[in-house]
Amino acid sequence: MIAFERKILENGLRVLVHRDDTTPMAAVNVLYDVGARDEAPEKTGFAHLFEHLMFEGSVHVPRFDYELQHAGGENNAFTTNDITNYFQSLPARNLETAFWLESDRMYGLDFSEQKLETQKNVVVEEYRQSYLNQPYGDAWLLMRPLAYTVHPYRWATIGKSIDHIREARLQDVKAFFRKFYHPANAVLAVAGNVDPQQVYALAEKWFGDIPSGAPNQRQLPAEPLQKQEKRKTVHRDVPQNQLYMVFHTCGRTHPDFHATDLLSDILANGESARLSARLVHDQKIFSELNAYVTGNLDPGLLVITGKPHNGVDMDQAEDMLWKETQDLIANRVADRELQKVKNRVEATQTFSESNLLARAMNLAYYELQGDADLYNRQTEAYARVTADELQRVAKEIFRRAHASVLHYLKNPGA
Amino acid sequence: MPDRKKAPKTSAQFEIPYIQPQKSKLANGMPVYFLPGGTEEFVKIELVFLSGSHDQQKPLEAFSTMRLLRAGTQSRSREEINELLDYYSAHLAADPQKDLSSISLYVLNKHLEPALDLFREIIQHPVFPAEEVRTFLTNQQQIHLINQKKVQHLARTYFGELIYGEQHPYGYRVRVEDFDALDSEDLQRFHREHLDPGNAFCLVSGCIPGNMQSLLDKTFGDLKTAQTLSGEKADVKALSPGRRKVHLEVPDALQSAIRVGKQLFNRTHPAYHRLKITNALLGGYFGSRLMQNVRQDKGYTYGISSNLISLVRSGYFFIATQTGTEVTGAALGEIYKELKNLRTLPAGEEELTSLKSYLSGSFLRSFDGPLAQSERFKELLVFGLDHSHHDEYLDTLKTITAEEIMECASLYLREDDMMEVIAGRPH
Repeated sequence: MIAFERKILENGLRVLVHRDDTTPMAAVNVLYDVGARDEAPEKTGFAHLFEHLMFEGSVHVPRFDYELQHAGGENNAFTTNDITNYFQSLPARNLETAFWLESDRMYGLDFSEQKLETQKNVVVEEYRQSYLNQPYGDAWLLMRPLAYTVHPYRWATIGKSIDHIREARLQDVKAFFRKFYHPANAVLAVAGNVDPQQVYALAEKWFGDIPSGAPNQRQLPAEPLQKQEKRKTVHRDVPQNQLYMVFHTCGRTHPDFHATDLLSDILANGESARLSARLVHDQKIFSELNAYVTGNLDPGLLVITGKPHNGVDMDQAEDMLWKETQDLIANRVADRELQKVKNRVEATQTFSESNLLARAMNLAYYELQGDADLYNRQTEAYARVTADELQRVAKEIFRRAHASVLHYLKNPGA
Repeated sequence: MPDRKKAPKTSAQFEIPYIQPQKSKLANGMPVYFLPGGTEEFVKIELVFLSGSHDQQKPLEAFSTMRLLRAGTQSRSREEINELLDYYSAHLAADPQKDLSSISLYVLNKHLEPALDLFREIIQHPVFPAEEVRTFLTNQQQIHLINQKKVQHLARTYFGELIYGEQHPYGYRVRVEDFDALDSEDLQRFHREHLDPGNAFCLVSGCIPGNMQSLLDKTFGDLKTAQTLSGEKADVKALSPGRRKVHLEVPDALQSAIRVGKQLFNRTHPAYHRLKITNALLGGYFGSRLMQNVRQDKGYTYGISSNLISLVRSGYFFIATQTGTEVTGAALGEIYKELKNLRTLPAGEEELTSLKSYLSGSFLRSFDGPLAQSERFKELLVFGLDHSHHDEYLDTLKTITAEEIMECASLYLREDDMMEVIAGRPH
């Protein structure tokens, strides 16, 4: 449970405050309603590259990180397919520094060809480090365009290819900023040892005069209903095969989302979950298995992935996973098993709330979905899910025609 | 419009809100420390044993023992234990390290008692069923083989061997065949000899209920003292310092992982605080010289850092990064240049003030909440220190000068004393 207050500035900036007098710190989170799904198909990876440029100095503050460090603060950011999120943690008594810095980079950035060039190189190295130079690192670069045909979730936040990053131009950067980085397209959440009235006053002072643009009214192509199973096989220099199966699901704000999420928990949340208990420990078909939902705002995916032991036939391994999904359709989940996954959801949420930054982030993220208080109603929403609902949703999700399957194989002879 | 060019006033004077741990003892003499606080209704109970991979007879023994405590007990199977832990949403985290082995239970207060019953069984009566041990080791062996394909993993493990020597327990690099050489009896022995209340302490943090002490006495108060000890292992001397290099060629690598560093000392050394601050200036935060130069100016890498690691019997320093293969040589050149600059180029007033402000804030952050404080307090206990260690750090931070930092660098971080590992395309 995160208690909070809300105020919306005239320019449209949504401001949320959560007070916690037990900490000397403050967390400041600025969420922009823009992600990789807002990119053009021929200019992917842009939202994330832009995130890097947000640290390269703004109109009045040439050195963002230096100033924050000077106030004893730390910060970072991440970009997803849906959002770009910036967060700071600093001693509460230096709170105003965070407002100064965040507002100035919303006001305007100090762009230059040279800064863009350097950050393009940094992102190319990030691309290599996280995707290309890691075993199985490119699996999601392959999986997304297999699962999605028209929706922009078909590319990863890092971009379709290194070339898209290398080709980014300064004029694109400026246009992106004008379109998406303004008060009406942002949510500011502050948590910690702060007084709400002081936060509102600081928000007025630093953000109040930033002119607003139009909120991001995206019109993304909806992914059409998949009618046929899709399959792909690749060979790579890895020591063990990996299997990826993904199924289309609803988006995070859909009434079936909680049941969908609990289905993945029944399969793989915790050591006692079905996939691990049955296929890793009892039958020893796989050395590791996982299942989860992507939890995107637009319709997302339920993912099942695992590494069959060397020597196990891939088709046989895949059959075992299909059997588990069919079990969820054919048989009601027992009451105790359902209660178990609900208990885990509740505990995970409580554990994460001990982190101040997580509280600020969650408020901003659920406010974006319509109301920050949705966060506080999550445990309850999970608690309401029935075994019948699970069975109904399982029937909709686990169909051959809705699946995309990737066999990621080790090189022959390796 | 506010004056956007003018920075708001800041302060670097922070009061650290220390939670004074309340100390007590269980029936068997095991010390317990309570660090109450926090706003959520859950508690963390961490049991720390002062034995780790340093003290094992065979490779992977400490690691496997801690991970397999929950794989079956005298009265319950692995399935039952996992189901109950998940049902009570008790999160169990094993943390096997070089000098210590710890296991933590995170649990909502409303499920505390049944979770503690399980915790007791897992700690006191594990049986390490042969089949569970085999499954675990087979699966871990697969992970090991995948790690061998990661340049950063290769650099990390070869670096340990390089600075300590392959015979030394701190330097040993796990081999693929080690996973085949371990069995249930090895783990039973490690458990019997090292999970001993005389060799342990317990930390409880979070929302602590009033009857915690008696609950803990029921849980661990009768944990038995070790019957037999295999005796101290013969001390292997760590390798002498020198200028050794390992270059590992990884065909088709797109990036090389670099590690540059040397053996040093741990947090009990009189120069530790100065060294920690010197290290931060070099590569300990985003504003550091290495990060600003190698990432922000040159764009050679996604990240670079320098680090100090404290072990009970030693300590070491290292710089780590991954760079494109075409710029590996250039990045390495910048690393050595920054090491040289550290002892020859004094930090300007602005650089020094910023460093100090950042480190003060960062120190305050590291004490945020009872769980974080429990972590800080554990470090003190493991090294036989008390709160004055923190006060000394803050004093050093206030008074240290640019000259003292250069002096510290020339004493401990000379570029020509460094060892080097490159995994990828070194040439």
